Amino acid sequence: MIDWMINVFSDKAVLSAIRVTFMLAFGSTLLSSVFGIAAGLLLERFSFPGKRIVIRINRTLMGVPPVVVGLLVYLLLMRRGPLGSLELLFTIPGMLIAQTLIITPIISGMVYSYACRFVPAIRVFAITMGAGKWQTVKLIFAELRKELYFCMVTGFGRSISEVGAVMLVGGNIKGSTRTMTTTISLLKSQGIFTEGVGLGILLLVMAFILQCLCDFFQREEVQDENY
Amino acid sequence: MKITDLHKKIGRFELNVESLSVEPGKIHGIVGSNGCGKTVFLKLVMGILNPDRGYIDYEGILPQEITMMTQRPYLMRTSVYKNLIYPLKIRGIRPDEEKMDELLDRAGLLEQKKQYARSLSSGEKQKLSFLRAMVFEPKVIIMDETLSNLDAESEELFKELISMRQKKDPATWLIVNHQWDHVNRLFEAVHYMEKGRFVKNEIAEG
Repeated sequence: MIDWMINVFSDKAVLSAIRVTFMLAFGSTLLSSVFGIAAGLLLERFSFPGKRIVIRINRTLMGVPPVVVGLLVYLLLMRRGPLGSLELLFTIPGMLIAQTLIITPIISGMVYSYACRFVPAIRVFAITMGAGKWQTVKLIFAELRKELYFCMVTGFGRSISEVGAVMLVGGNIKGSTRTMTTTISLLKSQGIFTEGVGLGILLLVMAFILQCLCDFFQREEVQDENY
Repeated sequence: MKITDLHKKIGRFELNVESLSVEPGKIHGIVGSNGCGKTVFLKLVMGILNPDRGYIDYEGILPQEITMMTQRPYLMRTSVYKNLIYPLKIRGIRPDEEKMDELLDRAGLLEQKKQYARSLSSGEKQKLSFLRAMVFEPKVIIMDETLSNLDAESEELFKELISMRQKKDPATWLIVNHQWDHVNRLFEAVHYMEKGRFVKNEIAEG
């Protein structure tokens, strides 16, 4: 096992896949959180014609197969596509776009759901306290912080496990756009199962460590609040 | 505060207040059976609901100078102390911790100062919500069944704090309380509601 670990971590291609995986996961979670949280909160706040349709479309997109998004982004970014001149196909920014498109509806849908449940009471409380517009916004973020964190963690989980879209848009180029999941997929197609499973476990362990770190900071806050 | 031709329709319910004058600096009781529109009226005064038509003349009182407490108060996900000072914080006022401790002590909440506010009992939550509404000294204080389900000791405390405030700087109080026989001695005016309308106003003598 230790030998295998040493081999894995000394392989430049594997290290590159780990780097690309986490870069994509963090980048797309960050971008999706900005767009998704804003969209979810605005959707709760404002009424407009067609709002119900927008909500239904959002819910549909929450379950859209990543490979479909990948294909769409591929068609947009391909040389003859509308955004072909940007030369983003088979690049990390291109993969980032695909992942952001997959995760944003998930985050916005979840945020909208939480906002419908909690924000009206927060808003009424803010009025009774005489809070201004921005103070109310600040209060909403503070009061919903745990829910927003959960939405982001869900988005991160979806991002780190993504294969279809990144394979299509990234092209699975060794040392460049290959991620841990696409590496596993490739290893499986080559019949190399042991390394595939090993990489899968490594991916899970890394995600678990990250999750523990996030929970640790959250727990600190709760303890501070209690006593 | 003068209310003229105030109208609000919610589903089948309709609130109609043709004319009501709320004398400033007095404690007003609002009395009526369940579903007669007391809460809708209070929410309109607070600005939580917008009227379909009509007008409330606040006579120079700013929205930030009005507060409202409900039977199930909203407490922020933070400590008792941070909840207490929130109205001061948003007004840019630095809280006098000694004074705040004194208030908490009076309400029997000093030991829970650093406790997570949502872990308090329902009575303690009501007390905290009351103190929080008092710290920034609003000019209009609305209480929607805030005094319901309180033990006798807490009720006495509330009455004492209300009386203290009225002696220091009289505020206008609008109080809805189903057990109003316990607190009616505080009322200086009583407004009776029936089916979305004010049907009778009584001003206490003396």
